[in-house]
Amino acid sequence: MATPRLSTNLSDEDPESTGQEVAWTAAVPLRGRATVAGTPGTGGRLLSTVLNGLKKYTTLLVLLILMALFSFVSPYFLTSRNLINIVLQNTYFIIVAVGLSFVMIGGGIDLSVGYQMSLVGVVTAMMMVVYQLPVWLAVGIGLLLGTTLGLINGLIVAQIRTFPLIVTLATSTIFQGISYLISQAKTYRNYPAEFLFIVNGRVLGLPFDVFLALVIVICAHFIYSETRFGLRLIALGGNEEAARLVGLNTRFIKISAYTLCGFLVAIATMVMLAKANTMNSSFGPGTEFVALTAAIVGGVSFVGGEGSIPALVAGVFVLAVLGNGMQLAGWGTYAQYIVRGIILLGAVVFDEYQKKTRRALR
Amino acid sequence: MSARAEYIVEMKGISKRFGGVQALKNVDLELRYGEIMGIVGDNGAGKSTLMKILAGAYVADEGKIYVDGREVHIRNPLDAARLGIGMIYQDLALFNNLDVARNIFVGREYTRGPFGILLDKKRMYRRAEELIRELRVDIGSPQFNVAMMSGGQRQMVACARAVAFQTRILIMDEPTAALGVREASRLLSLIRDLRDRGISILLITQRIPDVLAIADRVFVLKGGQRQDVMEVSKVTLDDVVTMIVKGKERGGNGDAQVEYKSFG
Ligand SMILES: Nc1ncnc2c1ncn2[C@@H]1O[C@H](COP(=O)(O)OP(=O)(O)OP(=O)(O)O)[C@@H](O)[C@H]1O
Ligand SMILES: [Mg+2]
Repeated sequence: MATPRLSTNLSDEDPESTGQEVAWTAAVPLRGRATVAGTPGTGGRLLSTVLNGLKKYTTLLVLLILMALFSFVSPYFLTSRNLINIVLQNTYFIIVAVGLSFVMIGGGIDLSVGYQMSLVGVVTAMMMVVYQLPVWLAVGIGLLLGTTLGLINGLIVAQIRTFPLIVTLATSTIFQGISYLISQAKTYRNYPAEFLFIVNGRVLGLPFDVFLALVIVICAHFIYSETRFGLRLIALGGNEEAARLVGLNTRFIKISAYTLCGFLVAIATMVMLAKANTMNSSFGPGTEFVALTAAIVGGVSFVGGEGSIPALVAGVFVLAVLGNGMQLAGWGTYAQYIVRGIILLGAVVFDEYQKKTRRALR
Repeated sequence: MSARAEYIVEMKGISKRFGGVQALKNVDLELRYGEIMGIVGDNGAGKSTLMKILAGAYVADEGKIYVDGREVHIRNPLDAARLGIGMIYQDLALFNNLDVARNIFVGREYTRGPFGILLDKKRMYRRAEELIRELRVDIGSPQFNVAMMSGGQRQMVACARAVAFQTRILIMDEPTAALGVREASRLLSLIRDLRDRGISILLITQRIPDVLAIADRVFVLKGGQRQDVMEVSKVTLDDVVTMIVKGKERGGNGDAQVEYKSFG
């Protein structure tokens, strides 16, 4: 996509420029000197500034409170062993959530990520176990497949311009059906040692999957704050009509977001596969709910345009800590479902409330 | 530019239909170099549609557009921008989730790095600050978020964006509609300022007195058809209002009025 350079009449480069970095979401619109100067605002604006400032740290705050809470409930909770376990169990959720954030911040939604994992997972597993392909080839095929699934979602959403919720709901069941057809509902286990490097290997002293998640998180943060694509994606999510009017190729951006999501979901699938060392078509579905909840808890707006990667990661850990803590407290899995649902509702209400205050203050 | 054309913009025989609504019917418009032309007409007359066609937001069903006397094909907003045409939309089309600088530059970012994938934020902030200073508008810092701004400030951001890129033809769609008396008069003087810098301006407005105060000519649309173009110095408020309401009494435009009434 070529961007015409229309501007001239610029002053020359000035290395001592004052342009400091600024956060890219509305969650942190005013900070530093910005809070004081300019807008003839009064109490209302100040209140909303405080609210917005808080929002940036809300998720982290909630996480810390939960951790403090559970440390009282169970002495085992705050042990390093338990905390490390929490991290290890959630690397692939983080990767999926990051993938989903591209779609959501761009104003879309992808409900099919769990089913993409199911399909990519069985295909990759069968390539290794049944067809005995070399690991790199099996993984390559899996990543390509995942990317293609994302591309398909993107093409449909961009082409027929309908609710992405419905589109990806439809592709979900298609992916699931194909997954079962291919796997014949069988289980494929015991992968080559090279593949299990994903969970057993270490890079820079970190377990490989943790390292991978970290790299992905950093890259995503960089994309949002430093790249032209990131800015355009955020703009598209904020106001699609305006994006069109400033000449953005909205279809291309949408398709890219879904494709990127598919690629990251495929990477997450490899981690899931290596962790379980077994795969069948029922693995994967359900991940979309966790990732979606984590994203919304982490301040990613479900109408697009807003979100931050650090908060998103904190969102994943809020859910993780909650699950872990409740288990330690002996609450069982079913209660966790209920609590998760309530948390999702709570996050949505909080988000909506904040939007209303902001609108009212205008 | 060699032999200078008579008009900076000429639109000829522009027609546009939205489903059952004939929004524009064979409209001609000529804009002179360095003039302010008011575009007036009732709600639904087709003002926004005509200007959006010039700005590339819509493509006309029929008709031709000339810039500097040369025929041009404006298929999208970037084509228009390349020709130096900038537009401030009626609803401003701002991004509430972005700050001032990002609002100004998104779509035409300053970039660096391989293939220009990285944002040159420093340069964007610096240029945004310059623009704010040049326009002498009160929007504070380019790091402010536009969601929190007043209607007037938001208008200024949209204006800064519209003139940021060598704009020679500026279209403003009811810029004073949502403004208070003071902000409106500041905006009018800004418009004069821009004209004095050589920008030709098309100003859509419902406030006829504003047009009489700053425009050189006024273009009247009714039911998607051109009624008249009048020299402001030669008309009164009543003349303009009469033209808007009654139109030019000429044969064959009865149909258009019926259509307009039934859909407007
Ligand atoms: N995108 C669209 N889809 C369908 N109809 C449209 C669209 N845009 C404009 N119209 C119709 O075209 C006609 C002209 O609309 P337009 O917005 O150009 O009028 P206007 O003169 O700008 O009115 P206003 O003063 O209310 O802004 C109206 O009947 C309107 O309903
Ligand atoms: Mg209009």
